Amino acid sequence: MFDYLIRRLVGTIPVLLAVSVIVFLFVHLLPGDPARLVAGPDASLQDIAAVRAEMGLDQPLPAQYLHYLGQTVQLHWGRSIKTHQTVAELIGERFMPTLLLTVFAMLWSVIAGVAIGVLSGVKRGRWVDRSAIVLAISGVSFPGFWLGLLLIDLFSVRLGWLPTGGYGSWQHFVLPAFTLGVGVAAVMARFTRSAFVEVTAEDYVRTARAKGVPERGVVWKHTLRNALIPVITLAGLQFGFLLGGAIVVETVFAWPGLGRLLVDSVAYRDYPVIQAEILLFSFEFVLINLIVDLLYGLVNPEIRLR
Amino acid sequence: MPRLLTRLLLGASLMFAASGAALAGKDLVVGVPDNLTGLDPADLNDNLSQSAARLMFEGLYMLDENMKLQPQLAGSFEANEEATQFIFHLRKGVTFHDGTPFNAVAVKASFDRAGNPANHLKRQSLFVMIDHTDAVDDYTVKVVLKYPFGAFVNDIAHIGALIVSPKSVQDFGKEVTRHPSGTGPYEFVSWTADTLKMKKNEHYWKPGLPKIDTITYRSVPENGARIAMLQTGEAQFIYPVPPEMIKSLQNSPTITVFDEPSILVRYIALNNLRKPFDDPRVRLALNYAVDKQAFIKVVFSGHADPMDSPMPQLLGFYQKQGSYPYDPAKAKALLAEAGYPNGFETTLTGASNTLAQRGMQFIQQQLAAVGVTAKVEPLEAGVLTDKMFNVQKPEDASIVMLYGGWSSSTGDADWGMRPMLYTKAFPPVLANLAWYSNKMTDAAIEEGLSTTDPTKRAAAYAKAQAQVWKDVPWIFLSVDHDLAAYSKKLTGASMRPDQQFHLTADATLN
Amino acid sequence: MSDVALSAPSLRSPAGEFWRRFRRKRVAVASGCVLLLLILTAVAAPWIAPYGPAAPDYDNLLAGPSWQHLCGTDTFGRDIFSRILWGGRISLTVGFVSVALGGLVGVALGLAAGFSGGVLDSLIMRVMDVLLAFPGILLAIGVVALLGPGIANVIYAIAVFSVPVFARLVRGSTLALKQTLYVQAARSIGVRAPLLMLHHILPGTLPSVIVYSSLRVGTSILTAAALSFIGLGAPPPSPEWGAMLADGRSYLGVADQIMLFPGLAIFVTVLAFNLLGDGLRDALDQRLR
Repeated sequence: MFDYLIRRLVGTIPVLLAVSVIVFLFVHLLPGDPARLVAGPDASLQDIAAVRAEMGLDQPLPAQYLHYLGQTVQLHWGRSIKTHQTVAELIGERFMPTLLLTVFAMLWSVIAGVAIGVLSGVKRGRWVDRSAIVLAISGVSFPGFWLGLLLIDLFSVRLGWLPTGGYGSWQHFVLPAFTLGVGVAAVMARFTRSAFVEVTAEDYVRTARAKGVPERGVVWKHTLRNALIPVITLAGLQFGFLLGGAIVVETVFAWPGLGRLLVDSVAYRDYPVIQAEILLFSFEFVLINLIVDLLYGLVNPEIRLR
Repeated sequence: MPRLLTRLLLGASLMFAASGAALAGKDLVVGVPDNLTGLDPADLNDNLSQSAARLMFEGLYMLDENMKLQPQLAGSFEANEEATQFIFHLRKGVTFHDGTPFNAVAVKASFDRAGNPANHLKRQSLFVMIDHTDAVDDYTVKVVLKYPFGAFVNDIAHIGALIVSPKSVQDFGKEVTRHPSGTGPYEFVSWTADTLKMKKNEHYWKPGLPKIDTITYRSVPENGARIAMLQTGEAQFIYPVPPEMIKSLQNSPTITVFDEPSILVRYIALNNLRKPFDDPRVRLALNYAVDKQAFIKVVFSGHADPMDSPMPQLLGFYQKQGSYPYDPAKAKALLAEAGYPNGFETTLTGASNTLAQRGMQFIQQQLAAVGVTAKVEPLEAGVLTDKMFNVQKPEDASIVMLYGGWSSSTGDADWGMRPMLYTKAFPPVLANLAWYSNKMTDAAIEEGLSTTDPTKRAAAYAKAQAQVWKDVPWIFLSVDHDLAAYSKKLTGASMRPDQQFHLTADATLN
Repeated sequence: MSDVALSAPSLRSPAGEFWRRFRRKRVAVASGCVLLLLILTAVAAPWIAPYGPAAPDYDNLLAGPSWQHLCGTDTFGRDIFSRILWGGRISLTVGFVSVALGGLVGVALGLAAGFSGGVLDSLIMRVMDVLLAFPGILLAIGVVALLGPGIANVIYAIAVFSVPVFARLVRGSTLALKQTLYVQAARSIGVRAPLLMLHHILPGTLPSVIVYSSLRVGTSILTAAALSFIGLGAPPPSPEWGAMLADGRSYLGVADQIMLFPGLAIFVTVLAFNLLGDGLRDALDQRLR
């Protein structure tokens, strides 16, 4: 088990290295001069040269990459070109809001999604099933920012029940977490239903039924537990996507998170921040995959870890 | 893992605790569109951060809400006739937020730091004309220039020349941008992610002021969300308000709309070196082809004024030049005369934000009516700046029509013309994206800089404006209005013509 | 999305069997009809749209819905209903073409990876992992920034999104099909690898690819809208739905129709694609009846 963990973690190194090269090339080849952007439209050439020297952008590319790699390995991520804050600090203060938002969005959407999925799996083919599926699929069909703005218009401006955006009390979480989770809930519902139905067809469930185990017992003890495995995988993947993908929701709800930071950084060509953030996302992604694999073992001890 | 869990729980509990404490005291919340970039006045170039810095820092002189020069930390100044030597008499009994006394030494330290190229500060170009600064005595500063610079007092009224506590620079070095200490009415408290907090300076040199306890800047990028914030009372001042939303706020009994002319001019820079725009008749034709009133009505919902000079009205030495009225028949005739009876095809480049895209679309529609087919090319900011400035030779310029705007950040005529209309301002040096070059204009701009005598400067800039207006390097469009909205409980708040939030020292919030 | 749900498609079910089962999915059939109607109106837009998509009317700005303008008018006085009809051409094209492109590349890569195994497999799949780990919007920003604005570039940007998902899906099916008896048999009698891939394995992966494509078209339309939202979508005056929506967001509360109707158009179209894909999937996989 421990060996496995180590092997998996070591295995992520080449992936992260590849990501670091790609990201480095990506940001440096993207048209746009950060020095010019930072210095502003009415800056003089001296001002711009000053900024460029300050950022080390006057060095040749390979030298810049090696410098960047060396710094990254030592966990020195440099300073933001835009705000001079250390990247670690910047990402640090944006991490919690995004994590909390993602956790809340996942929490409600997984619970609601699994519940709807199980319900429609049990009542397969009936109107409950059909309407639940249509409802779930409607969820993934909304343009996120459209939904967000409509919700603000209704609940904040017209009804005055909830704040329009920003980060603070629990009320601030309701609308963004809902908007962010809608898509996930839909996917989870659809997926839970398939997994549930698939497992129901398995021999051991049929055996249990034949043995006369009461229907509720069949659902909870035999079916659900096994159906949960693929559901966990998907939830893990979704979590990874949400962490990186909350850009639109964070913009609409003025959420001080990582997604917005990324868009801002790209607009400013804030190289150190973009690089650090993408490495972080990739690492998270790998890590989540690992956790998902470990969870498999917890849900069903019979799945061995290679 | 357990630590992460603890942090999660802690985060959650803090969040619940915070909900109770909000709204206590007189906290002015300002909703702004973007995050700040820093708070070191010498290292800023965006309006937003500058407006925040202005609440905490002061300069020897300042531009008031009408762009008029006013003494602030200096009581008065004297200059020699050639505009090469300036003596400032400082105000007494002022201290910085960190307790350091304000005096001639602090001013000299501040100017020396900001102008030293080794410090890599973004506003060093404001100080390039300074030869040296002397502290004559505790409250007298003498600045000697390398060459005559008539706009010098305007220059140091710029945000980049606000006075920073020398102790804070010593203590924090480059990090002073996150630990600002000035002499202004409000003191820095904290700046995290998208929230800046300031509190009242109890020892402000104007007795009894300020009257507002705390100020919070909150960055809310989405226009609709920012407006909703004001409507629900979560913010007391928001800017900018998109022009199309003004109507919806005007009827509110609790909200005041701010709608005043700014100094931001909108124009289309035509590449004067490139066919067909090298022919003045073509450039003139396009000016007749665009209905400026309709442009303002459609793009700015009426909240803008037509340009009637290369400079906006509120800039010093502005002189009205007239107008190129909407006349598509005349435009067609001019195009035919220039050899384009059936028009031509071209590309109109600009920023990718909603307002710019709307403006470009309107121009496209207007040009289509006189037979000119313009493709609209909205570009992301990084790509756009690259296309604009990454040009070594004029022939390499890839932009032929640029939907642009300019606001003189010093509030002076020099900076309102020289960066876009002076031959030596061709990219990459500055922003002369029309590649406009006329010896008469160049001479007039140089003349305006070489003296402090207002009548001589006025004459020089009158000449420059008339020449540019005649040469039509641009399609002259409009002058933006500053659009903001605020709660009726707030007094003393406004927007300066340079698009910066302005709070008078005696502003109140009930 | 939930490609994991697609188990290896059953090879025994002929098209007729599939059609019989699909016909019973009333919701999916209805969605198919709605889509057909949308495609027809988009194709016929030049003849049925009451106004041109870019025809301004400065005397009729921001008008609410009326008999002259069914969905009202926008900032330039353009008829929103006509623009939605015209925009259908663009949005549907973006959806179809980007998925076709992404699918083509993804299927080829997945097939190659699954069939050859070994180093090539690892290489391709690691690259796909990296692509997946890269936040999608950023990828799109990169592509549009590098290539410049324009519908074609939006399509490429979105196609890049789809590649890794298709590759994974097809690789999975290929691995399963490689083990089937008839592929083994074909191999043993010396059928060459390219032929084997094209004739024996590719057809087997197609059903799941088709199902997934229909789900993906919806996602692509949404992504195009999101790109427009951050100002990188179809350049004006294109009536792409996302661009209309993005323009309308600043009129919320003043002229709701600019945002409401294109939003509805996107919602209905994406919903129809998703419901159709869902029905197709159910019909393909007998166990999920």
